[in-house]
Amino acid sequence: MRARWTLRTVVLAYLGILIGLPVVFLVLKAFGHGFGAFWGEVTQTDALSALKLSLIIAAVAVPINTVVGVGAALLIARHDFIGKRIFDTIFDVPVAISPIIIGVSLVLAYSRIGWFGAPLARWGLNVLFTPLGVALATMSVSLPYVLRSIVPVLTEIGQDQEHAARTLGAGRLRIFWNVTLPSIRWAVLYGVTLTIARTLGEFGAVLVVSGNITGVTQTLPIYIYDSWDQRFDVLGSYSGALVLALISVAVLSILAVLRRRERKLLVDFA
Amino acid sequence: MSISLSHLTKHYGKTNAVNDVSAEIGHGSLTAILGPSGSGKSTLLKLISGLERPDEGTVVIDGDDVTKVDPRHRDIGFCFQHYAPFRHMNVAKNVAFGLKVRRRPAKEIDARVDELLALVKLEGKAKSYPSQLSGGERQRMALARALAIEPRVLLLDEPFGALDAVVRAELRHWLKELHGQIHVTTVLVTHDQQEAMEVADQLIVMRSGRVVQSGNPLSLYESPATDFVHEFLGPSTMFQGQVTRPHDLELVSVYQGTVKGRITSIVSLGFEAQVTVELSDGTTTWVQLSRNEISTMGLRVALLVGVRRREDDV
Repeated sequence: MRARWTLRTVVLAYLGILIGLPVVFLVLKAFGHGFGAFWGEVTQTDALSALKLSLIIAAVAVPINTVVGVGAALLIARHDFIGKRIFDTIFDVPVAISPIIIGVSLVLAYSRIGWFGAPLARWGLNVLFTPLGVALATMSVSLPYVLRSIVPVLTEIGQDQEHAARTLGAGRLRIFWNVTLPSIRWAVLYGVTLTIARTLGEFGAVLVVSGNITGVTQTLPIYIYDSWDQRFDVLGSYSGALVLALISVAVLSILAVLRRRERKLLVDFA
Repeated sequence: MSISLSHLTKHYGKTNAVNDVSAEIGHGSLTAILGPSGSGKSTLLKLISGLERPDEGTVVIDGDDVTKVDPRHRDIGFCFQHYAPFRHMNVAKNVAFGLKVRRRPAKEIDARVDELLALVKLEGKAKSYPSQLSGGERQRMALARALAIEPRVLLLDEPFGALDAVVRAELRHWLKELHGQIHVTTVLVTHDQQEAMEVADQLIVMRSGRVVQSGNPLSLYESPATDFVHEFLGPSTMFQGQVTRPHDLELVSVYQGTVKGRITSIVSLGFEAQVTVELSDGTTTWVQLSRNEISTMGLRVALLVGVRRREDDV
């Protein structure tokens, strides 16, 4: 009994030191000059445009990565092909290595003298220091989440339902929409939530490729960093951070609910 | 509809799952493909369904060569070993799936689903989800779903494998009755010889990817082509270097027997008993006798007896 309480206290204290206290201070500081000041900071032009860019990037990156993730998961779980292991592993690269490396690699590939960059520049398409580059960096770091959420579920449920549908006369598209997708829907949503969280929060890779142009390529995390480090606008930084934190909390809450539903669905059938 | 398989071969890597299999499955028959695990029986069923393509050979259903036809166009009903219910659809939607794919009018679908649910005795379960059904109910739902499209052929992979003994026996009788009602050509795969003998009117016995023997259950039981079939289809023992059914042997007095021996054990199993005899030629055999025979002959362990084949069998 006592051991359990000791363990709980230790764990709670650890969480408190790592997460609780910093968040409490963030809230206190953000509202340090009253709600009005906070609101003023949050609604300034630069802050709003950073928030807007972050949301737009998420709106582009999340659907694309979801479609790619579902497709790749089906390839990995349902098909055999040469180089499958390498294909599988490549998807993990973005989360296995530091985002800053992704950023630097993108700069090397897409700068005006880079491999892709040079021909693209001739076509009048610039990637670096544009919202397009920011989107690419974000998509890259958030690539594997949907895939990794789905593959274990696809493997677990097996192919019998799909085969049954096929013998009943269903074509590939119908099997995907009516049989496969409904059985992995919670896993897809789980992956999407993780992708959203990562997309909104990405800092390192985006910082390198964006060139940090206020009002053009500045996402919310970079705005926070910029206010704090470059413009000595600490209140702006705290306020922006609180907004980002609130969005993340909302996303995490949805995630917690989905997790419960998914587990319930699996347990139901065991 | 009849099925005709000729020279079917299927490799997985280096293993020969099905090796030059030819068989004829008669119209309206209930055929069991019987064999131990790894004999290629499930693969053979998948080849008939089209879920696997043969490396060589042809599958002809009702005169049509369907070897290269996708399973979705073969008009087959396939029941999977674990039933493969669509977990997110209720029973009625599961059963209706094949009809929806065929774009039948909603009214016709509803009527057909009601009819099928009555046929498989699941009338009250239309709105239940597969997770709320028992194993036997899931099996019957899977059958209704497969039958909905009025398949030319019904294929069942280990249909009773995952059920407990009581439900198994019930479902076997029920399946036999159902087959009597609808006469659809049915092929089922099983490793259980008792199940096969009880349900099927034709047997195809497989071993290591090949058909060892096929025919009606009684003829296979009475005149098995090989020792393997003999041993697989029922109790068997060795007598004078030959595989024999233990109920085809009898115990007599020492002088009347072909070979004499000493009883080493008597195991009583209710009405019948297994009597093990150590023979004078150094081998051991066992004889199946009724309880009555044991008591009238006064058989006991260590008694010297003669063993011979029963007269009607010689």
